Amino acid sequence: MSRLRRFLRTPEAVAGTLLLAVLFAMALSASLLFPGDPQAIAGPALLPPFQDWSLPLGTDRLGRDVLAELFHGARTSLAVGLAAAAAALVVGAIVGTLAGFAGGLVDEVLMRIADAFQTVPGFLLALAFVSVVGPSLGVVVVAIALGTWTGPARIARAEVLSIRERDYVAGARVIGMHPMEIAFREVLPNALPPVLAMSSVIVAAAILTEAALSFLGLGDPNRVTWGGMIAEGRTVLRTAPFLSIVPGIALVLTVLSVYLAGEGIVETTAVRRGLS
Amino acid sequence: MSGFTISRRTMLTGSAMLLASTAMPALAWAQTPKKGGRLVLAADSEPRNLNPAIVASNGVFFISSKIVETLAEASFDGKDGLAPRLAVSWEGATDGLSATFKLREGVKWHDGKPFTSADVAFSALQIWKPLQNLGRTVFKDLTAVDTPDDLTAVFKFAKPTPFQLIRNALPALSSVVPKHVYEVGKIEDNPANNAPIGTGPFKFGEYKAGQYYRLTKNTDYWGKDEPYLDEIIYQVLPDRTSAAAALEAQEIQLAAFSAVPLADLDRISKVPGLKVITKGYEGLTYQLVVEINHRRKELADVKVRQAIAHAIDKDFVVKTVFLGYAATATGPVPKNDPQFYAADVPTYAFDVAKANALLDEAGYKKGADGNRFSLKLLPAPYFNETKQFGDYLRQALAAIGIDAQLVNNDSAAHIKAVYTDHAFDLAVGPPVFRGDPAISTTILVQSGIPDGVPFSNQGGYKNPALDALITKASETLDTTARTDLYKEFQRQVTADLPLINVAEWSFISVASDKVGNIANNPRWAVSNWADTYLAG
Repeated sequence: MSRLRRFLRTPEAVAGTLLLAVLFAMALSASLLFPGDPQAIAGPALLPPFQDWSLPLGTDRLGRDVLAELFHGARTSLAVGLAAAAAALVVGAIVGTLAGFAGGLVDEVLMRIADAFQTVPGFLLALAFVSVVGPSLGVVVVAIALGTWTGPARIARAEVLSIRERDYVAGARVIGMHPMEIAFREVLPNALPPVLAMSSVIVAAAILTEAALSFLGLGDPNRVTWGGMIAEGRTVLRTAPFLSIVPGIALVLTVLSVYLAGEGIVETTAVRRGLS
Repeated sequence: MSGFTISRRTMLTGSAMLLASTAMPALAWAQTPKKGGRLVLAADSEPRNLNPAIVASNGVFFISSKIVETLAEASFDGKDGLAPRLAVSWEGATDGLSATFKLREGVKWHDGKPFTSADVAFSALQIWKPLQNLGRTVFKDLTAVDTPDDLTAVFKFAKPTPFQLIRNALPALSSVVPKHVYEVGKIEDNPANNAPIGTGPFKFGEYKAGQYYRLTKNTDYWGKDEPYLDEIIYQVLPDRTSAAAALEAQEIQLAAFSAVPLADLDRISKVPGLKVITKGYEGLTYQLVVEINHRRKELADVKVRQAIAHAIDKDFVVKTVFLGYAATATGPVPKNDPQFYAADVPTYAFDVAKANALLDEAGYKKGADGNRFSLKLLPAPYFNETKQFGDYLRQALAAIGIDAQLVNNDSAAHIKAVYTDHAFDLAVGPPVFRGDPAISTTILVQSGIPDGVPFSNQGGYKNPALDALITKASETLDTTARTDLYKEFQRQVTADLPLINVAEWSFISVASDKVGNIANNPRWAVSNWADTYLAG
């Protein structure tokens, strides 16, 4: 049975993927559908949703179009989520491979560093980093990656520890390959699948962390973010709850879709590995 | 008073509610105050130093003004806008070199010792002049305080000092603390800074960090039959949305200093048993100001500053950011000031075309991307409204081709960035007008102020003519001549725009109908509350 067919047989995975596709479409079409600055004042302040069809989701406290903000916010959320997860996976995989393959002192040092990062809650680390360096998109990505690279690093190390004893690695040694070359060309690719399996969780967590940072006022103030929208809506929660609810729903759907799609992929690949 | 309150009752005094209203006359405002009761109110910050003689700020006064009293308090109908407190009369010498205060008889400190002129002399010379944030400027020429008898204090100045200024400074700057408590050891480290001892109607009870401050009745208070309340509890509610909920649940009876967000006022004014009061803050006017860094070559050009002023729709700001609970500003003195306000100043109407023309004229043409130049904009984080105005200003500047990049900081980082490091192009600040331009307004534009002094001219603005005017006004003794000089000051500031005044706002109280004698002076929230009571 092909992997695609198996994937399509799990309804959660299909739903998650479709939703994710919609979100990507939103993010990519944001500048086409809503050209110009999404934070421009577009109408009267605090217009409720579904009143004026040129502003279908209403406006916020300054009269900015909530729908435009939502589309542009999707872009920030997905960009930060993917970039932070990619950074965490790359750093984690490299550190884990080095530690596992080199062993000895290198392993000790790298793993103690990972321990140090793991003992600090990831969100606190991100919070501290952003408040010291100052909020901007790149800084937020780095801040989130700082707290999440240890997971992939540990898994990669565990995989590498078992792989490096395999015959083909010994073979590579015998033909005189450089240890670095063995580590990154022979060992790492085979250690990757379980690491990548974590990616959906990391992306989802990164999106949530970004939203939480923006909610606390530590996001990039010159960009629309869903967390920032929720924070702004909070001051008028009793009179205009939709300002917090709309981006809140968007956030829930995004995290859910990333997670479901990720799970679907993991399950199909796991079954394949288990059966073969 | 009812003309300033909006409550369900005033709205529904129609015929339909006649039946219900007959059940309520006991709650009418104009009744004789009742004794006893505990007033619970919301506090949104927890100042550690509660000594108002050192830290003259509204956050400290809110709690400590009930414990430590000043020589005089602001008043709606008193002479010169003052009502006597620890001083019963005051007079300035014609040469401006001395001022005489007659003190109240029979006043006792909370620890039982008598209050005398020695306490006033000690507070003025040892605390107000050297240590107090505002007193340092106003009392800079104070050299001695003579005490010919226990109830007379004569302030001596090295240089002629306008008595109008001293008078206007009394409500905020003249908190008297006991000499016998403070004369031992370092004043800044005195335990009484955290558990103040004063002469006021309430004594300091206890403070539980993160929970509450408790003040108890001073049974030995000099005011006849005062205070009415037995206890005041400041419930710490740092979250602004929780104050409204606590009021509705009747857990607290008062939320002052706009603890209830403006957006909630409309809804909460319709809740039975609660009233929204906009009075009682006339003496505490905050100004929404665009601070400008004149070190930027574009902003050093007055045409660019005028263009920015024309780009701001002040009415929109008042209506949208402040939801109508503010007034548009014309210059550095707020419209509601009875002494100094000048209306005949240059004004800048909202006019995007004119703003664009001014920028073209100044030589900053729009580039291919529609932008003329980029600026760093730092909105002060202290108020929701300053942050929101920052968002608005960014859009307003975009409309005239100025690309403003917002930089958000926490309070400490903002103060450092703007007032020490000068790492800003434009900033949004909320300075306070304190009844006299010489107290905290002229330093916003005066040159020669050292780096790091917060809420002063740190934008590198230097205008010798304006500096000369400020110096002349500070030495002018005649009240009329001095007032005229400050009117001229307003005209020069609005013409040259070292900063742009956008709006003036004050605070809103929300209280239970049971709380009586609310907002009966222009600094009510930070006055002593000796006559505040709880009905029924």
